[in-house]
Amino acid sequence: MSDERRDEATAPDAYTRQMLEQGLSRRSFLGRAAGGAAAAGFLGLGAMPALAGVASEGKGAGAFAHSADGGATLSFLPKPKPIRDREIAETLTFDVVVVGAGASGVPAALSAAEHGAKVAVVQKAPFALSQGNTGSGVDLATSEKAGVEALVARLIADSNHRCNPKLIRQWAYNSGEAVRWVIDRAKQGGATVVDQGSPAQRAILKVNGYGMGYVTSFFGPKPYTTGDGIRALAKTAEKAGVKFFFQMPAVQLVQGRSGEVQGVIARGQDGKYRKFLAKKGVILATGDYQNNKAMSDYFIPDVKHLERKQLDKTGDGYAMTYWAGGVFEPIGHTKMLHDFDAGPASMCDTPFLAVDRKGRRFVNETVEMSLLNNYLKDPENAGHYAQVFDADYMTQAATWPGKQVPPEGLKNYMPDEPGPKKGVFESQVNTHRADTLEELARKLELDPATFVATVKRYNEVVASGKDSDFGKPATFLAPVAKAPFYGIHRRVRLSAICSGMLVDEHHQALDADGKPIKGLFLVGNLGGGFYGGVDYPLTVFGLSLGRCYTFGYLTGRHVARL
Amino acid sequence: MNTFTIPRSLGRSLVGLLATTILTAAPAKGPGPSKHAGRGIACAQCHGKGGKREAVPMRQCQTCHDPEALAARTAQVKPTNPHQNRHYGTQTDCTRCHHEHRASENFCLPCHTRFGFKVP
Ligand SMILES: Cc1cc2nc3c(=O)[nH]c(=O)nc-3n(C[C@H](O)[C@H](O)[C@H](O)COP(=O)(O)OP(=O)(O)OC[C@H]3O[C@@H](n4cnc5c(N)ncnc54)[C@H](O)[C@@H]3O)c2cc1C
Ligand code: HEC
Ligand code: HEC
Ligand code: HEC
Ligand code: HEC
Repeated sequence: MSDERRDEATAPDAYTRQMLEQGLSRRSFLGRAAGGAAAAGFLGLGAMPALAGVASEGKGAGAFAHSADGGATLSFLPKPKPIRDREIAETLTFDVVVVGAGASGVPAALSAAEHGAKVAVVQKAPFALSQGNTGSGVDLATSEKAGVEALVARLIADSNHRCNPKLIRQWAYNSGEAVRWVIDRAKQGGATVVDQGSPAQRAILKVNGYGMGYVTSFFGPKPYTTGDGIRALAKTAEKAGVKFFFQMPAVQLVQGRSGEVQGVIARGQDGKYRKFLAKKGVILATGDYQNNKAMSDYFIPDVKHLERKQLDKTGDGYAMTYWAGGVFEPIGHTKMLHDFDAGPASMCDTPFLAVDRKGRRFVNETVEMSLLNNYLKDPENAGHYAQVFDADYMTQAATWPGKQVPPEGLKNYMPDEPGPKKGVFESQVNTHRADTLEELARKLELDPATFVATVKRYNEVVASGKDSDFGKPATFLAPVAKAPFYGIHRRVRLSAICSGMLVDEHHQALDADGKPIKGLFLVGNLGGGFYGGVDYPLTVFGLSLGRCYTFGYLTGRHVARL
Repeated sequence: MNTFTIPRSLGRSLVGLLATTILTAAPAKGPGPSKHAGRGIACAQCHGKGGKREAVPMRQCQTCHDPEALAARTAQVKPTNPHQNRHYGTQTDCTRCHHEHRASENFCLPCHTRFGFKVP
C-alpha cells in the first residue's frame, strides 16, 4: 500500500476533523492561543481570547485549555500529581479493567469475559447501579435496509446534524443483537425483563415509508428499573469470571512513557489506593458529569438552575480522559430532562393547559415534555410546571396526542390518595384533584390568584376559538371549567448529559491529533459523538440505554480480542 | 425548606472523590460543640490522635456504628428507611445527613419532597 493511500484510510472523517478543531483538550489550547487574535476577529469576540491567554500564561499554567469562545477556562481540571507507587497498597493485573458498573460498563465487562478476557470492574457505588427502564435496538430481520438508513438519517437530524454518522450506523446495525444479548444474559441473572418489541415504538414502525422492527428491552415495571437489571447482569458476569470491586472509585489512569494507558488507580473505602493493571485496555464507563458543578456550568450552562436526578456522577471519566490527552465535545452538550413519573407517562405530551411554577401560561402546549426545560431553566421555575385539565378531559382530549388515563387510574398518581401504588415511584407521583381552582393551585404549589387569572384568560381564548396568546391549534383548545379539576405537577430534572469525549468507531479515545490513545476506551454517556442536539431525542424510545448496551457489548468484545 | 435551590447533592458531590484532589476543605470558623461529647466520646475518637480536625470518613463512624444493625433498627421509619435505600443500600455516607458540629440536614429531601425526616 502506498503512503498516500494509507493516509487516506487513516485520515480523520469530517466529524472527527471538526471535533479536533473545536473540541477541548489539554493540547488544543496551546495551538489556539497562538492563533487567538485572528480567530477573535473572525468570530467577532473582541479582546476576550487575548485576555484569557494572558491569564493562563501569567500563572505559568499554559496547560489549561480554553473554551471555544476563548473566555472560560478549564482551570477546574488541573491534572493531579500522579499517585506514587509507594502509596499503592496492592497491585492487581487483568486483561481488561472496566471502570463503572452501569448500563454500559457491565455489558462491556461481560462481553469481554465471554470473549476470553480476565476482567475486573471497579465501581464507585456499593453495588452495580444504573437507571431507567427502556433500552432499544433495531431488529434487522424485520427491517428494510432503506428503513434502517432512513432511521439513521432521522437520528442524525435529531442531533441537529452534529453527531458522528458512523456511530449512529454502528448502533443501528448492531443494537438488535446487543439488546437481545442483554435481555438473555440479564434473565440468566434473574432479572425481570421483557422484549416489548416493535409495539413499543409505534411512531417509527415506518420511517420515510420503509418498514422497521425493533427490540425494546424493558426492565420494570417501576419501581423496578434497569438498576436492578444491571445488578442481575452483574451476577451473570460474576459467574463468567468477572471480578467486581465495589466502593472502589477510580481516581487516576496509569500511563506509560508514550502516554499509553496501562491501568487505573482506585481508592477503596479503607482510604487505600489499589492499582489495577490492564494488559489489553481500560474501558471507562463512569456515566455523565451532572453532579460536577464546575463541569456542568462550563459545558452545559443551560442546566445551571435545573435539578438533578442522579447522584455522584462527577464526571470522573471525563477528567481522567482529559488528563490523558482526550478531547471534550465542544461546549453546548446535549441534555435529557424528563418527568415521566408525576403523572401518567402517556399524558406527558397531551397539550392540556400548562402553567409555570407561579401559575402563568408560558408555552404553546404542543411543545413536548422533553423540551419544556428550555422554557423553565431560570432559578424560579427550575423545571417545575403543571398540566391542568377539568372533569371532561376523557372526552375533550380523546383524540389528542397521548393516551388519557381515566379518573380512577389517576388515583395511582395521587399522593393524597391512600393505599398502595402500582407501577410507579411512590415518592415521585404528584397528581392532584380539587373541587375549586384555588384548592388545586395550593395542591400544585402555585400562586392561587395568578393561577385563577390564567385559567380565566385561557377560557376566553378557548371561547374565541383561536389561541391568540400562544398559537396552539384550535383542536387542542378545551376549557378548564367543570369541577373536579385536575393537575399534574411535573418537574423536569436532569436525567442525563449525553455528550462526551471524542472516540473512534472502536470507542477508543482520540487525542488532540486524532490519534487513538493506546489502551483507553470510553462507553456510555462518556463516549462522544452520538448526539449533538440541544435535547436528547425521543424518536427511538430507549435510545440512550440501547446505545449504552450496544457500545458496551461491542467494545468489551473488541478489547478482549486485542 | 427552600424549594428553589438545586439539591445539596449537587454541591456536596463536588466535595466528593475528584474534588478532594482539587479542593482542600478550609474551615473559616471553628466548629460548633461536638454532639458526641455528651456521650463521653472524645474528639480523637473521630479525628484521630493528633489527626487533622477535618471531615471524617464514613469508616470512622463505622468503628462504633454498624450500618447493617442501624438499618435494622430504623427499618420501620416512615416514609422510608434512611439507613437502607436504593441508591446506597446501607452505605449512604453518614455525614451527608448527620453533622457533628452543626445542625444536621436531610440529604434526600430536595429529590424526594415528601421524605420529611427529622435527622438527629
Ligand atoms: C430516572 C432516570 C430514568 C431514565 N430512563 C431512561 C430510559 O427509560 N431509557 C433510556 O434509554 N435512558 C434512560 N435514562 C438515561 C440512562 O439511564 C443513562 O443515559 C444511562 O444509564 C447511561 O449509562 P452509562 O453507562 O453511561 O452510566 P450509568 O449507567 O450511570 O453508570 C455509570 C456507573 O459508573 C459508576 N462510576 C462513576 N464514577 C466512577 C468512578 N470514578 N469509578 C468507578 N465507578 C464510577 C457509577 O456508580 C455508575 O454505576 C434515565 C435516566 C434517569 C436518571
Ligand atoms: C462523632 C465524630 C466527631 C467527634 C466526636 C468530633 N468531631 Fe469534629 N468533625 C466531625 C466531622 C464529621 C466533621 C466535618 C464537618 C461536619 O460534618 O460537621 C468535623 C469537623 C471538625 C473541625 C473542622 C471544622 C469544621 O467545622 O469543618 C474541627 C476543628 C473539629 N471537628 C474539632 C473537633 C473537636 C475539638 C472535637 C471534640 C470536642 C470534635 N471535633 C469531635 C466529627 C467529629
Ligand atoms: C467512638 C465511638 C463513636 C464514633 C466514632 C461515632 N459515634 Fe455516633 N454515637 C456513639 C454512641 C456511643 C452514641 C449513643 C448511642 C447510640 O445511639 O448508638 C452515638 C450516637 C450517634 C447518633 C444518635 C444521636 C441522637 O441524638 O440520637 C448519631 C446520629 C451518630 N452517633 C452519628 C455518628 C456519625 C455520623 C459518626 C461519624 C462522623 C459517629 N456517630 C461516630 C459512638 C460513636
Ligand atoms: C438520609 C439521611 C441519613 C443518613 C445518610 C444517615 N442517617 Fe442516621 N438517621 C437519620 C434519621 C432521619 C434518623 C432518625 C430516625 C428515626 O426517626 O428514628 C437517624 C438516626 C440515627 C441514629 C439513632 C438511631 C436510633 O437508634 O435511634 C444513629 C446512631 C444514626 N442515625 C447513625 C448514622 C450513621 C452511623 C450513619 C452512616 C452509616 C447514618 N446514620 C446515616 C438519617 C440519616
Ligand atoms: C439527586 C436526587 C436524589 C437524591 C438526593 C435521592 N434520590 Fe432517591 N431517587 C431519585 C430518583 C430520580 C429516583 C427514581 C428513579 C430511580 O430510582 O433511578 C429515586 C428513587 C428512590 C426510591 C425508590 C422509588 C420510590 O419512590 O419508591 C427510594 C426508596 C429512594 N429513592 C430513597 C432515597 C433516599 C432514602 C435518599 C436519601 C438518602 C434519596 N433517595 C436521595 C433521586 C434522588
